[in-house]
Amino acid sequence: MAGTRRQDGLDHVDLSYPPEAEEFRAELRAWLTANIPAAWTEPGFWATVGEDEAFDLRRDWERRKALAGFAGIDWPVEYGGRGGTPAMRAIHDSELVRARAPRSVNSLGLVFLAPTVMAVGTPEQKADIIGPMLRNEVIWCQGFSEPDAGSDLAALRTRGVLDGDEFVVNGQKVWTTFAGRGDRIFTMVRTEPGSSRHRGLSLLLIDMHAPGVEVRPIRQMSGVSEFGEVFLTDVRVPASQCLGGIGNGWATAMLLLSFERGAAGISQYTAYRQAYDEIVRVARALGRAGDPVLRQELARRRVELECLHYQAMHVLTEVEQGRDLGASSSVTKLQWSQAYQGLFETFDELLGADVALLRPTADLDLTALRQESFWTRSVTIWGGSSQVQRTIVAERVLGLPRGS
Amino acid sequence: MYFALTDEQRALAETVRAFLADRFDLRAVRAVVDDERGDGHPADLWRAIGEQGWLSVCVPPEHGGLGLGLLDAQVIAREFGAGVVPGPWATTVLAGAAVRRVGSPEQAAAVLGPLGAGELVATVALRGPGGRFGRSGIAVRADAAGRLDGAASGVEYAHVADVIVVAATEPVAATEPATEPATEPATEPVAVPTGGGSGRGDGGVGLYLLERGGDGVRIERQASIDGTTRLAALTLTGAPAVRLPGSDAAALADLLRRGAVLAAADLAGVARAALTRTVAYDTERVQFGRPVGSFQALAHHLADLHVAVTMAEHAVLYAAHALDEGRPDADLAVAVAKSKANQAAGDATAAMVQYHGGIGYTWEHDTHFFYKRAKRLVAAFGDSRQHLEHLARLTVDTVG
Ligand SMILES: Cc1cc2nc3c(=O)[nH]c(=O)nc-3n(C[C@H](O)[C@H](O)[C@H](O)COP(=O)(O)OP(=O)(O)OC[C@H]3O[C@@H](n4cnc5c(N)ncnc54)[C@H](O)[C@@H]3O)c2cc1C
Repeated sequence: MAGTRRQDGLDHVDLSYPPEAEEFRAELRAWLTANIPAAWTEPGFWATVGEDEAFDLRRDWERRKALAGFAGIDWPVEYGGRGGTPAMRAIHDSELVRARAPRSVNSLGLVFLAPTVMAVGTPEQKADIIGPMLRNEVIWCQGFSEPDAGSDLAALRTRGVLDGDEFVVNGQKVWTTFAGRGDRIFTMVRTEPGSSRHRGLSLLLIDMHAPGVEVRPIRQMSGVSEFGEVFLTDVRVPASQCLGGIGNGWATAMLLLSFERGAAGISQYTAYRQAYDEIVRVARALGRAGDPVLRQELARRRVELECLHYQAMHVLTEVEQGRDLGASSSVTKLQWSQAYQGLFETFDELLGADVALLRPTADLDLTALRQESFWTRSVTIWGGSSQVQRTIVAERVLGLPRGS
Repeated sequence: MYFALTDEQRALAETVRAFLADRFDLRAVRAVVDDERGDGHPADLWRAIGEQGWLSVCVPPEHGGLGLGLLDAQVIAREFGAGVVPGPWATTVLAGAAVRRVGSPEQAAAVLGPLGAGELVATVALRGPGGRFGRSGIAVRADAAGRLDGAASGVEYAHVADVIVVAATEPVAATEPATEPATEPATEPVAVPTGGGSGRGDGGVGLYLLERGGDGVRIERQASIDGTTRLAALTLTGAPAVRLPGSDAAALADLLRRGAVLAAADLAGVARAALTRTVAYDTERVQFGRPVGSFQALAHHLADLHVAVTMAEHAVLYAAHALDEGRPDADLAVAVAKSKANQAAGDATAAMVQYHGGIGYTWEHDTHFFYKRAKRLVAAFGDSRQHLEHLARLTVDTVG
């Protein structure tokens, strides 16, 4: 066994961030401290604000953050980004959670569309899309799912027929997050008549204020209406609003979805730790933190959260080392979604007979945690359901034969 | 920021794997398992392990070792788990850690050099009959002269060990108020050891070096479910031993943590091998006209196991790092690693049996090596219940 001694102290497990990343953290933290109203950091605050008002507050706050230079952290400077590293991006996301900053209202654009535009967009698209998105002047929706095309995206039916230099688009999208608030939507449309499955698709960028676009909100199990349906009737979309090439929609969509990178895991860990601590406080307040069975359950959930943290650091390492992530994003998705959901199952369990009450005692308000608990039911559905992720892991990681 | 195996560690893993495939594959393991009366300690394997330097990983350079840490040792432990390798490698490494950390310079000089070179077999005896891992499970008592009375159970490779590190309670606290060992929850009723002498002295805890063939030492082999190791009971009656001078309850806790990480690493290896072998079998095995691995019920479960095993591997890596660096969250990290590895290995080896069908239930097939080794190690150095309760103490009880 030769040459395994470490000399430089660099080439082994090391969880510290480089100095420039830590400087960035300090700078961001200072800005956040000065720019988040104290009331917003109360766990229950967002549940007390109406949906419209909450959205406006979030959009404007995020815009101010961008103008202060804290947006597009790992984007090239030429696109208005900060030119930072993946680690700085992870720090950014995590500090936002830590400071209890409002969640992004443009994440589908920021996470998925923007890097795709940078990769395959025309110069006009780059100029037109990225800046306004970064400043929240344009809110983006993702229009992939349809009533008959969910997990099986290639079954989509929305069609676009070329008429001169415009597509005439007809069809329906569903489960569209922020449908009621979006300005533009990136959609998968079948642009080759008679094509099937993965062929003949195009990714079109559609103005949601254009004639023929009609949006209907859908109320979610939590009671809020964060997503909705989008009906497209003879909507005229300039051919220049196709991203990644006409007929090349499947490849473009796969590229777009690949940008769901694992750096997010670090901020998720931060968020779930907050939830864990709050749930423990609830257990204490109800006098249940000594129950040996619940203690085992809570500890088991904590194990999964810590493992998520390790996985996130591992993925960040692979990204920074420029290694191919392969299907490990499916591993990350399964781990975070199930750890998160499981944590709230334990929350329900520890409430015992009080599970149906939002205020089991005079000084215990569970509204925010309850909202979050409903939300955790969705995380194993969107972004590729757990079943879809397991199939990916089974076939692409383990190499099991494909199912019929 | 770096959280992955290094190129060197990957190369080391590859070396161990290739060595085992070439020199000690499952047929060799089977020979050890089937030779129930044998000492479970193939001499040529041990010699080769010594030659490869795999015993000197954690031995400091001044004693001729490589001076690496648990981070590197866990790489070997994982591969040994994956190969269900018999022999006293882990116990020797662990006993070496005790001598290195709390032994005197003379003890270190006497033990560590030969240990690293593979000239000395060592083990640890930390638990009395029926006792748990932790101070309350000790059933050996030391007197002021360092003579040991009592019993230890389930001691790996005691019958071939040149040196045994024995945990004993002491009549008077040797150090300041002893902090409770990590793996021992306060809320648990103290298991009262029976047989041998009661080790429940009210003083401190010490670690003692017991040499082979001394007076007052009786070693009797214990029948075990796991044929990839050998277990023995130790009965001590006024057995002379030498105290590791720096040892105390904290040293015992530290040793238990290191043992838990090595066991967790072994389990992660067992789990990974169980999964890989099951995937290979179910890719070939055809029923209903297709490979059974193409059935989603099976494939999805195996995918979940892949996630679990991956998390166990990460958790072991982090716990080893945290112990090496003395990080403040090391205690938590060990509890996480052991409970996660326990779960992953328990589930993966059970799935291995299930997804091999009838052949998986036979003695002839190798599945039971993995299943039984996991059973043993899941309970070693703290079972899940113990580690989870400890984790609850570190997390549930500390939230402000
Ligand atoms: C909160 C939320 C926000 C969303 N936001 C958006 C958005 O902004 N834009 C957008 O385009 N979409 C969005 N979606 C839609 C989401 O992508 C789909 O719900 C998801 O792809 C699943 O599709 P489906 O709902 O049609 O379920 P189906 O695909 O019909 O699935 C039903 C069940 O069958 C399982 N299943 C499906 N196929 C298989 C298979 N091959 N093997 C085994 N099991 C299978 C699924 O896992 C699921 O459990 C959102 C969904 C939610 C819940």
